[in-house]
Amino acid sequence: MPLESFKSSQSLSLGVELELQLVSLSDFDLTEASPDMLELLRRKPFPGTVTPEVTESMIEIATDVHTGHTTLLAQLRQIRDTLLQAGDRLNIGICGGGTHPFQHWSERRIFQKPRFLEVSMLYGYLTKQFTIFGQHVHVGCASADEALYLLHALNRYVPHFIALSASSPFVQGNDTLFESARLNSVFAFPLSGRAPFMLRWEDFVSQYFAKMEFTGVVKSMKDFYWDIRPKPEYGTIELRVCDTPLSVEHAAALACYLQALCSYLLQRREPPPAEDDYLVYNYNRFQACRFGLSGTVVHPKTYEQLPLVDDIASVLERIQPQAEALGSTAALQHISQTLKEGSDARQLRLEHASRGSLEGVVDSALQRFRQ
Amino acid sequence: MNQLVPLLMDAAWPITILVAWLAGEYGYQLAKLPRLSAYALIGFLLAPGQLGLLPQTQSGMVLLIATMAFSLILFECGYRINLRWLLVNPWIAVSSLAESGLCFAAVYFVLTAYEQPMTNALLLSALAMASSPATMVRVITESRSSGQATERLLHLSTMNTVLAVFVFKIILGWAVLQTSGNIWKAAYNSLVVLAASVLLGLLAGMLAPVLLRITKRASQDSTLAFTIVLLCLVALTYGMRLSPVLAALTYGVHARHRRMVLNSSQRGFGALGELFSILLFVFISSRLTWPQVVAGASLGLAFILARQCAKILGIGLFSHASGIHWRKGLLIGLACAPTPAFVILVLEQTNSLSSKMVDQLIPLATATLALEILGPILVQWSLAWAHETPKP
Repeated sequence: MPLESFKSSQSLSLGVELELQLVSLSDFDLTEASPDMLELLRRKPFPGTVTPEVTESMIEIATDVHTGHTTLLAQLRQIRDTLLQAGDRLNIGICGGGTHPFQHWSERRIFQKPRFLEVSMLYGYLTKQFTIFGQHVHVGCASADEALYLLHALNRYVPHFIALSASSPFVQGNDTLFESARLNSVFAFPLSGRAPFMLRWEDFVSQYFAKMEFTGVVKSMKDFYWDIRPKPEYGTIELRVCDTPLSVEHAAALACYLQALCSYLLQRREPPPAEDDYLVYNYNRFQACRFGLSGTVVHPKTYEQLPLVDDIASVLERIQPQAEALGSTAALQHISQTLKEGSDARQLRLEHASRGSLEGVVDSALQRFRQ
Repeated sequence: MNQLVPLLMDAAWPITILVAWLAGEYGYQLAKLPRLSAYALIGFLLAPGQLGLLPQTQSGMVLLIATMAFSLILFECGYRINLRWLLVNPWIAVSSLAESGLCFAAVYFVLTAYEQPMTNALLLSALAMASSPATMVRVITESRSSGQATERLLHLSTMNTVLAVFVFKIILGWAVLQTSGNIWKAAYNSLVVLAASVLLGLLAGMLAPVLLRITKRASQDSTLAFTIVLLCLVALTYGMRLSPVLAALTYGVHARHRRMVLNSSQRGFGALGELFSILLFVFISSRLTWPQVVAGASLGLAFILARQCAKILGIGLFSHASGIHWRKGLLIGLACAPTPAFVILVLEQTNSLSSKMVDQLIPLATATLALEILGPILVQWSLAWAHETPKP
């Protein structure tokens, strides 16, 4: 089936998806609760959309399309409150965080939906290992070529989002020493990584997608697990590298940081993206995953070594006018605060040190999501 | 040869446990039969009344170990109870009261129809309210189920067991008052026993973290400390003729609400929990004899039917209001089949219960045996039909 045409949408409009953890309040392990949650949530109109995810211990929410920080945050809070209300009624805890600190993938159950069962058959244990929780941000693009330009212009900023959203230091009961261990699970998939370097949609469709489809490897864009991928049916690009933050406030701030950055990039004041930018891409990505805000990245044009914190701080300064125009200065202030206080991953480690157990870490994440 | 008989006598329980364990494993592997059903069946077959491998009189030690086994599982149940849930979603408590109340009324009606004396009928009706939390915990652990049916089964069975023990003790107090006229004796058998048991459970909950602090054990391996405190608590309440069941449950609920973390890898207390459950379920059905079962057949079946209908109706009625699909509600009602009635009776009986009265409670034998064997199967099937067990 040929790739559908790219639907034009309002430039810089925003949509956020969050994958959330469903936790047992008895032992703080993940619990297979999404069928019951969805059954209860179907009874009333939901402020946004709520859908199952690949395993029954996850749930995904999505906002409507927004243009600014205020309305986006308001809807995310409304969604959170609706979820918490349902969770309270069913004795289910809900929280953010990119990984659950001590769940064992083998105990997970695949949600009974044809696509998930198909994926499970294809990828075997990787599917259950995919019980990881990410935030996806959609940014509207006026045209398909604009989408590809933005997708590649963002390559140098991907580490910013990894480090700022990092909230997955623990996996299977151990401290991984990574700030975002979640992305290591994504890397196991053969179609993960980055999109091929093409700046014209026509070339992307005919020279890449059609060939890939002909090989039988892919059927739709859904089969790609790229860090940033175009979504022709929405008319957006989708940033997929963020861990789900511990709070909806942080999720909204990250989305608006991306929006302001895209607004800045569309003014094309920076040198255009090039294939060679990707020489340092995986190294920078690793630095952000492993060290978070303490990492160092290599600038793809100048090859200068930059501490991530300084790089983000200078970008925040640079995109201030765009943030003001979009009404998202509060979001940028939140990001600025994160640079001072540290990421969610750091907070989780501090909780582990003070409470002495990973169960306590989950408990703190549950409380954080409620605040 | 002369030495073989005492040797066999001494080894009767270990051999029985071995046979029960083997039967449980084969039954599960060949027919997906819940292990508990096999344990109950073996216990009944090897009982002194049938093949006679087990000794005629149970030593106090076996009774104490059975009590500990039951209490260990009840502690885990208590630990999984979230009292806040009952406040946030009052329909859970309403359905618990409804199913327990309906159950009491239905069973009392059946028993009086069978011309049972009123005191017996009241005591049996109180016991009938309880769904065995021990069976729930073991089957849930074995089938690795999770979801609303699982969660509610644990909560409802724990709540109706507490209710059953409360009502049983109060009726017992009333019965003692009727027969002896001694108000102190009557009050002791009900209110004092209940209050003292709850208090000791709370004290145990306070003691455990103190011990953990003194020994500087990390919270990850606190399960052993909890278990040791629990065994002491059971021995104490058992010795004082209080209610180990209530004490263990209170201790569990208290431990959970003090945010004391039991490691999830210790679910079911590992090998110790497994061993204890074999002993417990063998013990329960080994107390029954074939003649008792035959004699109480008709009443026993009527008892099961009335009890089951009441539970399905009581829980099903409020399922939608409490936030789940009515179909799941009906399945939870069906899964409430297992009854710990006989074990409560044996473990909780006091000297004030005349042996004559115990004999009159025998109609429960058929129901107990049937539900010991069929109950776990119904729980397993209900959880599977509710789509809460992993697909093979």
